[in-house]
Amino acid sequence: MRPNVRTTLVIASLACLCGSASLALAQKGGAKAAPAKGAEDEIELEDTATPDKPAGEGDGEIELEEDKPVEGNLELDQQGNDLGGPTMKAGPVTRTPISWKDILVVIRKPFLKVRRVELSPFFATTMNDNMVRHNTLGLQANYYLTDVLAVGVEGQLYTHQFREPFDLVGRQARRLPTVNEYNWSGALNFHYVPVYGKFAVLDKHLLTWEVFFTAGIGAAQSSVIPRDRTYPGFDNFLIQPNVGVSMRFFLSKFLTVTMGFRDYVFIDKFEPTDRSAAMNATADQAKSNADSAFINNVMFQLGVSIWLPMSFEYTTFR
Amino acid sequence: MRNLVQSMMLVGAVSAAGLLVHTGEAAAQEADKAGPETGPRQAEERRRNDLHTQPAVRHRKLLVAKRFEATPLFESTVNADFRHFVGVGLKLEYHLGDKLSVGALGVYAGAINTGLVDKIVPTLPDMAQVDSLEPSKGQFQAHLNKMPLHGAAYVSLTPWYGKLAAFDSAFVNFDFYFQAGVSFAQLQSDCPASICNDTAPGQPRPDPNNAGETLPPDFNPNNDPPLNSGGRVGAYLGAGIHVFLNDFLALDLTVRDYAFNDNPSGADYDANRFVNDDDSRFLNHLFMGVGLSVMLPMKAKRTR
Repeated sequence: MRPNVRTTLVIASLACLCGSASLALAQKGGAKAAPAKGAEDEIELEDTATPDKPAGEGDGEIELEEDKPVEGNLELDQQGNDLGGPTMKAGPVTRTPISWKDILVVIRKPFLKVRRVELSPFFATTMNDNMVRHNTLGLQANYYLTDVLAVGVEGQLYTHQFREPFDLVGRQARRLPTVNEYNWSGALNFHYVPVYGKFAVLDKHLLTWEVFFTAGIGAAQSSVIPRDRTYPGFDNFLIQPNVGVSMRFFLSKFLTVTMGFRDYVFIDKFEPTDRSAAMNATADQAKSNADSAFINNVMFQLGVSIWLPMSFEYTTFR
Repeated sequence: MRNLVQSMMLVGAVSAAGLLVHTGEAAAQEADKAGPETGPRQAEERRRNDLHTQPAVRHRKLLVAKRFEATPLFESTVNADFRHFVGVGLKLEYHLGDKLSVGALGVYAGAINTGLVDKIVPTLPDMAQVDSLEPSKGQFQAHLNKMPLHGAAYVSLTPWYGKLAAFDSAFVNFDFYFQAGVSFAQLQSDCPASICNDTAPGQPRPDPNNAGETLPPDFNPNNDPPLNSGGRVGAYLGAGIHVFLNDFLALDLTVRDYAFNDNPSGADYDANRFVNDDDSRFLNHLFMGVGLSVMLPMKAKRTR
């Protein structure tokens, strides 16, 4: 007898101890396991057999130690069960708690992403610029090639507001900060989900979540904010790779909440320090003498995702 | 308000997801308490089995309950204006139960100039200007303060716990926690008398050449004492996650906000051209920290 068959037999016997197991199987139309009288409802086991596939030919998710070889035949046992014959020894049931330590209970993921599209409007704000804060409204569309790998696009529109140091530097140090504003950005991204888990909220409700990494390449536009408004600013076209890490919380089969951090890196051009009627007066002159700097624009993002199609079905065996 | 939005967003946004869930659950519980029902709600009642009233998780390791937690930690400011504070410290916490704990932490930190300071200072004159409000290099830097010591005493709530799988191979327990309490900080600035030589900022001064006469205020904040030294007490907020490496070791990742009165630049803030206590304002000092928590006793109990 193959190990998987023996495993299934042991599991089926244990399932007889659980009255609730038969109820669950009956509701799902699967093979029925006879409940034992007096069994408690503490433990539920699911039958590994499917209508199309005999028990024991599953994917082998559950394995038990073979310390006590079990002799018998699955088909004969099932026939005996159908005929009302005894499937268990008479007398008290001997519990073997040690064996429970060897059972890996792997439940199905409550949310599948494969071949689904995620539409995610999101809000983002700058985390690491103490001169100017950029807030964005964006939209992501991601297609999940597998349950852990996705490809997608995103676009963002930016607004900005000056922070306290921008004003303080002017008043206290008598210096006018050189800052750029961002106008828009877009990117092609790849997402990888290496971590998933579940947690209990206030010991009552279970919520699943996952962590995913993002890497992408995109483009953006920045504009110089002239220190002296009498001189024109200029725009920069930026090549903008990005990396990030985010968390996703699953609220329903089609709704998730995502939050995370994204670092957009690029080389930006800033207004030259010396600017007068005789020097860098025009936008082209200023741009040709602009000071370049490598920028990390770290942003916190918060979004809500709608998943299409809005539901899913499992196609794999348990 | 500088870091308030960021810190509140971090704490509040993480809470938002839980609030949504909890709200939905509360509604369900209210429905349970309702009287005789008909229609769909009655049908829903019939579908429920005994598991509805059972704990969400059985045989769960109580990784924090009734345990003492000692955490050596590393902490650094996030997006500081003039100086980053980077330091090491210790967190001591006792978990009264599975959700509630009390603790305190202290951090000794060094100061590093931010990129903003490094950009400003080279452009400043070497010597103090008599008829200008432009500070010299020395005046600007001497007014900046440090934070050699800071910490907090707090109450911590751990409403979420769970388990995660990393790369389908590593299965670890984790929990989220939120903290609130009282913060304290020891601030320090070292402005020498040769720079901060105005003994009465904003006030008329005795004329050394004419006894009984006074000179008008100089209204030059660059030679005023910065008034940003000493102890501070304020509010504390924190949020973090324990990632348990085993029964007694956990990686502790935290975002902490120590909010108290401060004037980091030590300069005139309210534009009255002299430095006084009114230039200090209630500021958020946002830190991110990582630590290694040791849980004592080292063996964790399990629920039934």
